[in-house]
This record gives sequence, structure tokens and C-alpha cells, in this order.
Amino acid sequence: MSVQPVRPVQSPIKRTQWTSIGGGRVPSAGQVLTYAVLIGLTIVVLAPVVWAVLSSFKTQSELAQRPPALLPSSLAPTNYTEALSSFDFGLYLQNSVIVTVGATLLTVVVNTMCAYGLAKYNFRGRDVLFLVVLGTIMIPLQLIFIPVYQMAAQLGLVNSLWGLIIPPAATPTGVFLLRQYMLGIPDDLIEAARIDGAGEFRIFARIVVPLCGAALAVVTIFSVMWRWNDFLWPLIISQDPEKYTLPVALAQFNSQLSVPFNYILAMSVVSMIPVVVIFLLLQRHIVRGIANTGFK
Amino acid sequence: MRRILAFCIATVTLAACAPGTTSGGGSAEQVEDKTLTYLYFTDGPDEQATRSLIADYEKKTGVKVDLQIVPFDNLEQRLQARLSGGNAPDVARLTDISPFRSDLLDLNKYQKAALDGQFIDGANAYIKGPAGELLGVPSDLTMNGPLVNVDQFKKAGVSLPDVSKPWKWDEMVTAAQKVQKANKTQYAIAMDVSGHRFSTMLSQFGTTFFSADGTSVGLDPQKATAAVKKFADLNASGVMPADLWLQAGTKYKAANEIFLAQQTPVYLTGNWQVSAFAKDATFTWAAAPNPCQEECGGFPGGKFMVSFKQSKRQQAAADFIAYMNSKESQERLAKEANFLPTRKDLIASGVDYPQRDADMKVFLADVSRTPQQDFATAYSPAFAATAKAAVEALGKVLAKSQSPEQAVEAIRAGAEKALKDTK
Amino acid sequence: MSSAHARRVKPWNQRLAPYLFILPNMLIFGLFVVYPAINNFNISLYDSRNGRDFTFVGGANYQELLSSEAFWSAARATVVFAVCFVVLTTVLSVALALLLNRRIKGRAFFRTVFFLPVVLSPVVVGLIWGWIFDRGNGLLNTVLTRIGLGQPGWLVDGGLAMTVVIFVGLWMHIGFYILIILAGLQGIDPTYYEAARMDGATSWQQLRRITLPLLRPTTMVVVILSLIAGFQAFDYIWTLTGGGPIGATTLMVQYIYENAFQSPIRYGLAAAASVVLFITVFALTLLNFLYGRRKEAT
Repeated sequence: MSVQPVRPVQSPIKRTQWTSIGGGRVPSAGQVLTYAVLIGLTIVVLAPVVWAVLSSFKTQSELAQRPPALLPSSLAPTNYTEALSSFDFGLYLQNSVIVTVGATLLTVVVNTMCAYGLAKYNFRGRDVLFLVVLGTIMIPLQLIFIPVYQMAAQLGLVNSLWGLIIPPAATPTGVFLLRQYMLGIPDDLIEAARIDGAGEFRIFARIVVPLCGAALAVVTIFSVMWRWNDFLWPLIISQDPEKYTLPVALAQFNSQLSVPFNYILAMSVVSMIPVVVIFLLLQRHIVRGIANTGFK
Repeated sequence: MRRILAFCIATVTLAACAPGTTSGGGSAEQVEDKTLTYLYFTDGPDEQATRSLIADYEKKTGVKVDLQIVPFDNLEQRLQARLSGGNAPDVARLTDISPFRSDLLDLNKYQKAALDGQFIDGANAYIKGPAGELLGVPSDLTMNGPLVNVDQFKKAGVSLPDVSKPWKWDEMVTAAQKVQKANKTQYAIAMDVSGHRFSTMLSQFGTTFFSADGTSVGLDPQKATAAVKKFADLNASGVMPADLWLQAGTKYKAANEIFLAQQTPVYLTGNWQVSAFAKDATFTWAAAPNPCQEECGGFPGGKFMVSFKQSKRQQAAADFIAYMNSKESQERLAKEANFLPTRKDLIASGVDYPQRDADMKVFLADVSRTPQQDFATAYSPAFAATAKAAVEALGKVLAKSQSPEQAVEAIRAGAEKALKDTK
Repeated sequence: MSSAHARRVKPWNQRLAPYLFILPNMLIFGLFVVYPAINNFNISLYDSRNGRDFTFVGGANYQELLSSEAFWSAARATVVFAVCFVVLTTVLSVALALLLNRRIKGRAFFRTVFFLPVVLSPVVVGLIWGWIFDRGNGLLNTVLTRIGLGQPGWLVDGGLAMTVVIFVGLWMHIGFYILIILAGLQGIDPTYYEAARMDGATSWQQLRRITLPLLRPTTMVVVILSLIAGFQAFDYIWTLTGGGPIGATTLMVQYIYENAFQSPIRYGLAAAASVVLFITVFALTLLNFLYGRRKEAT
């Protein structure tokens, strides 16, 4: 692994076009089929979402109507205004944003570092550590809920936004993804930099990280949507209403005896918007980033 | 491989010590900072009423009450976590206090005069500790009963029974079917997916999960089988929506949407829907008396206010509970949220409801017709687990994978186990 | 294991560096994942009816599990669900990523569309599909009845309910896996295709000989992640079917959740079940990992 004949580095840098299976021109029958499949699936994917958005304007009795009507009787935003006014939406939005941004930054930084350590160094205990990481991916919070909470309580993280940012930050999934990705980066690149006298951290920050664009984007998106929709953990960590995130605030409507779906739908639509927007922005960025630099 | 082995050994060694909780046992250090946390779940209109009571309390005493509303589904889970983290709220509102009994504060220590013996006697077995401690206060009573779509009954020319002369089960079914036909509704009768609601039917057929003193299983196999058979027939013939039960899994599911959409003229539920329907229903509806079979009346339920040994503000917590359950507060809450009272003095003097007074009187009439044994069952620590077993067993009957007899056997077994587990 | 080539002495900073790199992550990780997980194993040896008071019972919880019908029913359902979910996720995400990687108009649009369900809250997803699949009144059956196809009991029949649950799982998660495969596709060096084209290889041959083999490491990631997701599925199923009809879609996590947090609480039993689940998935992942490594080595 360490000493190998130096191969010409296979060149990340100069690609300007997208790969596609066929590369060249695609026969038009295939093209048509592709569109047919994609449009068909788009309908399957979008129909329920669109229906949910439309339904968010319905009243409770309209929602109960059987068979359900496709369109709401009016587009008056009553559900939105009533649900929004019944709690401090601005504050919860702010909390959600702080937690999502903070946790994602932390996740990306610690995960990338850890993945690099595991992927590109040979050290005692590496394999065991990696297996532990891998092993813990499959522990859902549901299973170890109370021990985790006790730990957070001992460290004084309860009822603070830090408690929402730090404990879930070391996502094993992120480490795993990034490590798998980094395995593909040629060791020669790193060795070459060492020979040029670059420090270990510098190599990491200046050479490795820029090469991981797509994987980082995936981890970022993953973390954003995860933290944004996170419910169970914030529910026990945020005890004062001032510390609630959106999903927790939203769930207050869930009562014992009847659930006002009209409010829940309206609030879900509202809470969905920011993630979709982030994805739209990031998606463009990923596409452009990959197209320009053509990493790897 | 050796390293993995070593890791495993280390893990097991670490695990050899007992799982600790960080809770500080019975005597939490007390502080006086004039704040309180109140863990609450809401069914709707009660939230506003509670908030206004709290506002008055804050003005009067200068204590700041932090109302922490959580979704009902996650209430127990969250409380469990907080207790094991040594971080309990000062006051909580619960439907089932049994999983928390060993953590509850004896309210008699601080507010015996105001609270002890003031509430319906039926609840005593449930809220009293082994040494007579007062572990919780029944903050409101619920009564199960039918709501009917008056418009649909009128259109079908079917009359409703008088409050003082309840109908029989078969009369109710026949009437509901007539109304169903005349209005072309999908179903005639709908019931919430809930072992608690089914207990109403059991009670009317003359039996309950537990005996009158709550210490043994009281389910009469023959009477229970009759009730299960009736229930199965009604579902199989489309009088009741079998799909609702089958599609709910092990979760509670209300049939309120079916009633609101006017797809069933009769809805077997309880008084807590009154204030919500007053707002949401687009048709005329009313509470009807529970049907009789061997017995009349409905089935009781309710909520409890508790504090915890872990609380650092026990005196303040007990004071607040006493305030919230004083005659004046309970009357206000009952009026605004259409709750039924639990205080003996308030039951004696009666409550006049500013809205839907007639309907509330129907529920109150049923309270007095409800067999005493029902209270022992409803307030048994083993009730929740048994009710869950009942939902499961009934689901199997509806899916035809179990006979009514087998279902009753399963419910009995569930009740036995639940009793043993809570001993 | 592999120490033969470590003979060459590295400078201290290179020896120290990996530990510093992994430290922050491992610290958080140890505190909030590993330690609680060990604690959880510990709890599985105790009986607890409220999650706070513990009585040591040794292996009794495990024994009870093995003889519990509900546990085996959940185990069977989980395996069925996970296998279907992994296979379908892998095949579909590769197929769709290949389609989305072509030069087509509106590619960004399609990618966004397929990703959209990923960001929805599971509760809402369960809710919406519950309305769609309701037997008597659902949107789907309203349409099916109109075109004369009857009213299948989507959520009333056990087998159909499992199908629905798998379908909704795919609907919800596929966008995420597509994204991973897309990232992997970007990593394939285009010169391979150029060379292949010069040799006159057809698109199909290029797919078989270049794309799929080179995509294997990424596909492995998808297999492992979907395997884990498959074994963890819970929240949307909880809203969609509640585990019904009569337990047909009660998967392991729900079984654990119900035992841990719903009356009658059996906290130790739940912990034991989660240990069993953990060991199963860990073994499967390890197999996958070792298999992948053998491939890497050859």
C-alpha cells in the first residue's frame, strides 16, 4: 500500500462534460422511453405531495369527507393563519434553523476528519474502530433512547440547543459514506504532497476535502434533512417551549382524542418549504460544482 | 480477531455493573424560585381554559408556571426519559399514572386538607398509595356515550330516546340502520378504536375486566362473549366500520372523522368530543343516552394531576395542584372545556354549562347509571394493558383469525397478566 | 492482522495525526452512541417495569423473547420487509440514477422531484398514504372502483399491507439512494468510456463492463445503508398502519418501542430485543463489508 510505482495521477481536473452511459448520442427511442419512465414516476412521486398541499387548505370536515374531494372548497389560508397564530412560529423557525445549521456544520467537520483518519492512515485499532462505527449505524435512537438521555442530562445538555446540536453530530452514516468515498482518492496524491513538505492537516484541508465535493454535499443534505425533521430527540431535550424546534411545536396538536389534521398538514407544508429550498440551492451547486471541477 | 475479542470482553465487563439511574431518590433538594413546570397534553379547548387559570394563579401568587405541552402519543415516553435523567417536571397531567407510581409525590404531605377525600371515591384505589399516600388528583372525569346526528334522525323520521329512558342495544342498532338507509350513510354506528370504548359495551352487557375491588379478573366469559359476538356481527354486516379497526394497528384511532363527514348517524365516543364538535360540526347533533343491555350507563375515564418525588419544588407543586383542583377552578375548567367534575362538592351542586348544557346533562345522567364496578376497572392500574390486549383480540376477530370465544380467552389472559405485572 | 508493512518507521506527526483526526468524532460518538449502547446491553439483563427500577434476571429476557410469538412475528416481518426493501432500493436507485445521469432536458427538475419525499416528515408521509390506501374511501380505490377494478383491502389484508409499507418506504427513501449512486457515477473516469467507444463497444456493453463493475463500491454503500434503514423502519409505518392489520406490519423497532414505552412496560425485554436486532444487522453488515473487501483485494 505504501510503496508503489508512481502511476500518472488519473486526472481529476480536466473534465468538462458529464458522463452518461452511452456517452454519445442516444437513440431517440431510448430517449422517449427515458422520458416516459421519468414522467410516469414523477407523477407517482408528486401526486401525493400535491394532494397534501391542496388538502392543507381544507377544513376538518372537508378532510373527513368520503370519498375525498380533490380540491379544497376555498384557498383561504385559514388553517395556516390559525395554526401559525396559535404558537410562536418565528421562534421555533429560528430554533430549527440554528440547530440545523449548527449540527450540520459540526457533523460535516467531525465526520470528514474522522473519515479521513480511517480511510488514509494505518494505525493500531483502526479496523476495530471502523467496525464499531459501522456497527453503530444500525442503532436507531429508539433503541437506546433512555441511556442517551441520561448521558445528555449528566452533561447538562438538557433544555439547551447544544443538546440538539452535539449528541447527534457524530453520525456514523456520514463517516461511513465519506470513508468509502475517500478510499477512492489515490494515495499517491497524498504521498506527493508529503514529499512537498505539506503538513498533515494541510493535506487534509487543501487536497482531500476539495476532492470530496459530492460526498460532502450528500452528507450535508443528509444532515440538514435529518436535523430539520428530527422529532423524538428534540422532544425530550427541549423542555421549555422557548427551546422547541418546528417539528416539536407542530406535534403539540397531536392530542389524545382527536387530531386536527388540517393544522398538522398546514404546518407540515410550512416546515417542508425550507428544506426543499435548501435542496434546490444545493442541488444546483452540486451540479455546477461537479461539472466545473469534475472531481476525482 | 484478537482485538475484536478484547473489545467484546471489555464491553461485557463494563456491562457487569447495574444500570444506574441518575435520579436522586425520595428527597430532592428543595428550592424556592417561584417557578413551576407543568407537563401537559391537550385535547383542544382545555388548553385555553388551563392557560387562563394559570394566568390568574401567576397574578395571585407571583409563581411563574411554565406550561410544557407535548403530543399525547409521546407523553409517557418523554416523562420516562426525564425521570430516568433525574429531570422530572414539577407537575404533570396524565391519563395513566400506573407506570409512574413509585415516582409520584404524596400530595397529602403538603395539601392534605385541600385534596384528600375531596374527589369521587371510585378513584381511590387508583390514586392512593399502599400507606394511604395521595399520589394523584383526578382532575376531570370523562364519560363514554353516543353522539347522534340529529339532522339525519329527523330526515329518517326516527325519534331519539328520552334522557331518562335509555334505549336497548337492539333498539339503537335498528334505529341507526333506519337512519343509515334513509340518509345513505356508509355506516350506522361507529366506535373509536379503543379498548376503553369497548369496555363501555362490555359493561352494558354486564361485565368488566376486573372485579369490584379491582384485585382479580372479573370478566364473565359468557357475557363478554355475547358482547364480542355482537361487536363482530355489527362489523361483519357493515353496520360498523371494520376497516377502521383493522387499519389502525395497535394505535388509538378516533372515528370522529366519520361522524363529522356525516357517514354515520351514531358515534360511540365520550363527552370530550363535545366542545370540539361544537366548533367543527356542520350539522345538528346531540348526545344520546347509552344503550342498555344487562346494564345501563357508560364507562368512566379521566385525567390526573401529579407531582414527583424528584421535584425540587414540591410545596409549590402541591399548592398549584390544589389550586387547579379547587372547586372554583374545576368549575371554570368544566364550563369552558365541557369537562365533567370529579369533586364531590361540585358534583353535588352541579355545573351549568354555558354551551351544550343539555348534552352534558345526558352524560351526567349516564354517570349515575354506570355500575360501580366500572370505576374499579377504569381506575385499575392494570387497565391500560388489558385494554390493549382487548384491541388486539378484537382485531383478530374482525380479521376472522380468532373466534369470539378465543378473543374473550385472550382478553382474560391479558387481564391476568396485567394484574400480575402491576402487583 | 496487517502489520507486515508497518515496519517503515513514520515520523511522529504521521503517527499521531490519525488519532487527532478521529478524536472529535469518536468523543461525541463514544459518549452518545457507544456508551449508551453498552448500557443498553447491560439493561437487557435486567427486568424493569418502568424503565427506572431494575431487577437482575440474567438471560431471562432473551429466553422470553425466543418463546414469544409476538417477537418471532416481528422478526419475520422485519426480514421480509428488509430483504424486499434492500433489493428494490438497490435495483431501482441504480436504474434511476443511470436514467438521471443521461443528457436529458429537465434533469435537475427530475432529481429534485425524486428527492422531494426524502425531506417530508415521516408522520405526514404515513398520513397521506393512509388516506390514499384506505379501502372504503381512499383516493386509490375511488379511482379503481371507477374503472371497475374493485376495492382491494390495501391496509386490511396482511400481505397487501406489507406491500404498501414497502412501496411507501421506497417512495420516501429512493431519492436519497439515487443521490449516492449519482455521486458514484461522477467518480467513474470518462476515459474508460472513450476507450470503450474506440473499441466499438455498444452502450449495453459499456454498462455491463464498465459502469456496473466500477460502481460496485457505491452500490455496496447503498446496500449497506438500505439494509440498515430496512431494519430500522418504524415511524412512517407507525402512522400508516400502526403495525396492523393484526401485527402483519409490526416490525422489530415497533416491537421494541411498544415494549419500552407503552404499558405494560417491559424495558429489559425491549433492550434484549434491540441487542438481538443489533447483532443481526451487525453480522449482516460485517459479511457485506468482508465480501466487499475481498473484492477490493482481488
